[in-house]
Amino acid sequence: MRASRGFYLVSTILQLICWVAMIWPGALLANRVEPLIWGLPFIFFWYIAWIFIMFLGLVVLYFVEHLNKGP
Amino acid sequence: MPDWIIVTTITAAYLLATLVIGVRARRSGEQNTLEEYVTGTRSLGLVLMFFIMGAEIFSAFAFLGGPGWSYSKGAPALYMLAYTALMASLGWLIAPRIHQMARRLGHMTQADLLADHFKSKGLAVFIGIISILGLVPYLTIQVVGTGLMFQFATDGRIPFWLGSLLATLIVTLYVYTSGLRGIGWTNFFQGVLMVAIAWVLGFAVANQLYGGITPMFQRIAEQAPQYLTIPGGGAPVPWAAFSSAILVSALGAWMWPHLFMRFYSAKSVRTLKKSLMLYPLFVYVMVPILIIGFAGILLYRDAPLQNPDTVLLDIVVKTAHFSPWLVGLMLSGALAAAMSTGANIAHSAATVAARDIIARLRPMHDASVLRLTRLLVVLISAAAYSLALLNPASLVTTLLGAYGAIVQLLPLTLATLFWPRATRSGAFAGLTCGTLVTLQFDFVWPPPYAINAGIWGLAVNIVVLLGVSVVTACLPTRSEQG
Repeated sequence: MRASRGFYLVSTILQLICWVAMIWPGALLANRVEPLIWGLPFIFFWYIAWIFIMFLGLVVLYFVEHLNKGP
Repeated sequence: MPDWIIVTTITAAYLLATLVIGVRARRSGEQNTLEEYVTGTRSLGLVLMFFIMGAEIFSAFAFLGGPGWSYSKGAPALYMLAYTALMASLGWLIAPRIHQMARRLGHMTQADLLADHFKSKGLAVFIGIISILGLVPYLTIQVVGTGLMFQFATDGRIPFWLGSLLATLIVTLYVYTSGLRGIGWTNFFQGVLMVAIAWVLGFAVANQLYGGITPMFQRIAEQAPQYLTIPGGGAPVPWAAFSSAILVSALGAWMWPHLFMRFYSAKSVRTLKKSLMLYPLFVYVMVPILIIGFAGILLYRDAPLQNPDTVLLDIVVKTAHFSPWLVGLMLSGALAAAMSTGANIAHSAATVAARDIIARLRPMHDASVLRLTRLLVVLISAAAYSLALLNPASLVTTLLGAYGAIVQLLPLTLATLFWPRATRSGAFAGLTCGTLVTLQFDFVWPPPYAINAGIWGLAVNIVVLLGVSVVTACLPTRSEQG
């Protein structure tokens, strides 16, 4: 059995949100210096954070796909 | 002991370790086949796949051009972080299918997939030629990078020609003997080294020169705030150029043969997916590197560097007064970044030239293709070294032009995987129009609205591919495989 269609839809949307956040227009919202986070300008931190969100999305995608497949 | 001897000794130890790891990785006996040499017999596990992907994407550019951007422009350098991370989503979409088809049909190169699908030898040769036109200048840039790094870190005691010769020789030796498996194990070593050294250097530079990362960015925010947002300072990059550069690179980067061909090497789809899942974490190697570039903004405010690409070397070797031990480590890490990419490029360029160009025009046995591929590893490395010494001005132009064409393979790849109705005529028409549009906006007219030329090319390519395929769909050239 494979992961449900709804799950794939949500995963695809999450990945697309990452593209929008890191390319345009998402990054427009973050185009500022303050607040510095971990000492980094906000837009620098924005990219670091979205890369991590993207990574988490892929982790969930991987495990749901393979847990549902059974042994 | 003079500083340069310490630096050279540390670096020599790194080079020797790389050589030993690379040469010893070879599998002997009956496993000495073309498939082993090119794909590692499609048996690579998670660790090697992860480090090959990371180490080949982050090249000499990571230690030279990358910090050069954050020094000379500021925040627009973040495009590197963005596009390299976004590659993971697209990889997830295409890699498993490419991997499965290749296992079933015995593919080893990109042209194997596309030219077999569209049943066209001409397409294979065309892809082969643009690949070589892109890969050889790209390899040359790695060679130039190694020479420059050596020269800088040893204060000229190891001159450009010698440093780049050493690095090229070592890479050629282990790629020649061990093929992909040698690349895999050295990339593991080089990947760990470059990540560790990047982080050490990033913190060391910020602490030594500004007393930490927070005070550093506070001072830049007071004195040169324009560098900390898009479009940046110095030579600003407008939003349209910034965003479209991320988009075109995130879409097109997998089309580089040396990246694309690695999809074939994983031992299973699961392994491939796991390595793509972890891959965004490798991208964080650019965080400390970009921080080092940002450090240069205030340091060289009054006397800008002639070549922004040497900013990391300038800071580490000259301005920060680090111990020669740290300089030696920096040189090893930077060489690791250049050599790990160079090895992949030399290996792929030789494979493409042998299998997609020569063996398609004059069919031969796999054992002969293997001998030819190894010979070409040596010839292509020698050519890149010679080009590095001559350093012709046309190098970057050739690379840009060829990359413009390579990106245009994406619609063909997507059609091969997901749209069985695409026809050979559609593929040819799309590829040709997309490439011409890209070259036109790269070299003749500036692209409209400052949007990257490759995006315009891709848009035209997709429309033409769809249109011509629909029109010619009923012809007997239609592909049968999905």
